[in-house]
Amino acid sequence: MKKWGEVALGVVTSIGGFLEVGSIATSTQGGAEFGYRLAWVLLLGTLSLAFLMEMTGRLAAVSKRTYADLLRERFGYRFFLLPLVAVFAVSFLVLASEIGGVSIALQMATGISFPWWAVPVALLGWVLLWRGTFGIVEKGTALLGLVAIVFAVGALKLHPAWPAVGRGLLPWAPSENRARYWYLAVSILGASISPYLYLFYSAGAVEDEWTIEHLGVNRVTAGLGNLFGGVLAVAALIAAALVLAPRGIQVDRYEQIAMVLASPLGRAGFVLFLATLCITCFGSTLEIVLAIAYMLAQGFGWAWSENLKPGKDARFAMSYTVVILLAAVPIAIGMNPLALTNVSMVATAASLPVTVIPLLVLMNDGDILLNHTNGWPSNIALVIIALLSVVLLLAALPLQLLGGG
Amino acid sequence: MRAVLISIARAGASLALALTAVACGSPPELDKQLETLSSWTATMQLAREEHGEGAITTTYATQLRDGAQSALEETQKTIGPAAHSKVDSSYAAAALDSLRTAIRQLNAETGS
Repeated sequence: MKKWGEVALGVVTSIGGFLEVGSIATSTQGGAEFGYRLAWVLLLGTLSLAFLMEMTGRLAAVSKRTYADLLRERFGYRFFLLPLVAVFAVSFLVLASEIGGVSIALQMATGISFPWWAVPVALLGWVLLWRGTFGIVEKGTALLGLVAIVFAVGALKLHPAWPAVGRGLLPWAPSENRARYWYLAVSILGASISPYLYLFYSAGAVEDEWTIEHLGVNRVTAGLGNLFGGVLAVAALIAAALVLAPRGIQVDRYEQIAMVLASPLGRAGFVLFLATLCITCFGSTLEIVLAIAYMLAQGFGWAWSENLKPGKDARFAMSYTVVILLAAVPIAIGMNPLALTNVSMVATAASLPVTVIPLLVLMNDGDILLNHTNGWPSNIALVIIALLSVVLLLAALPLQLLGGG
Repeated sequence: MRAVLISIARAGASLALALTAVACGSPPELDKQLETLSSWTATMQLAREEHGEGAITTTYATQLRDGAQSALEETQKTIGPAAHSKVDSSYAAAALDSLRTAIRQLNAETGS
């Protein structure tokens, strides 16, 4: 019974934690500009993330060490600096975007300009990290994040043509406006397969003291949680395809996105959109700050746990303190949150090889995983994801220049 | 299964083609600006409808209007050099005028 409770909670937290500033922005941009035609990219991103989370969760449950720990131990400190720097840089950009997402939601609600909200949002996040535990951060924000289900309600209320949605789930290439289409595809993949998601998940498995007994929970959480989360992202794309695309509205600013729910659901949809943007971005803010601090602490061998008092892991606590306050700066000085989000999603996509390719080695290491190494289906999936990550690395910069708008 | 594999192969080939082909020319500047103006005009019209139905607040509608206003001002500065013929100029003038009208109508709706 306890195990089923853990499974349910794990799935719910994955659903609640799936949508955040990047997936909301890129899904609605995709829907507004290309209708359902980018839905297959969301499906690809969701499946990739589910595989990566299952593997890093299995790694943590069997070895009792995080993915970052194992990266350093197996490949050496010099190699570890590469993923450390790459993940730190892109996660910092994504973190600033999430703070921007909360700030813009508060601006839409109050009329007070978003730069004024950046520092208070960062301070509130810091207080929660300083005073709270891992359970509060992970489960509290993710449970509140279930408000994102409003996207599914909005999409259903708009009565999409399901055969057309189904066709959107098949890979497709446009004959015109190709640079923009592939740019959005890369952004969507960057938003779906952020390294911080599986690094945080792996550290969370260690924080929650997972063992081999949890491998079933891990599989269901990674699979079902991400699948349902992906459905919400597809719902956001559908809503944008039905509200914005027919009118020729492109998403140039976050403010335009709220109308995708105000149209089908009226004032309630508008209010719930603001709540969704605010809560999901705030939840992601906390997760990303922790993911960065975990990576630094695990990389440099410091004491770390969100469940310890800050005095017991001072360098870990100092890391998240400095990072969250610095990440508020770009928004506080008025940087456009949507532009920042788009750049950070493309940068995230480009950074994937350094965390995905080493997983191929670790997941087949019998010394670490005993008899829980990858079978051939998982290895095929991981090779495909690794190849995809290399394509994203090569395509990201040209597409940012050509299709970034 | 075969159809899916063909679709994936086509998508991959198209991505490679996009990277090389699109790199050969600069994006159509005037078209892009006309699209932006048209998008903001439609945004203003939708905001007016939704405000009229009580779906969005006046505070939010005002922020949308500010977004449209800054897009209008930015485009006014740059669209002139991008219009290379009389026809281009007349399209640009019409698009600018439509957005101005839509902003005025939203202002009238929200009472600002």
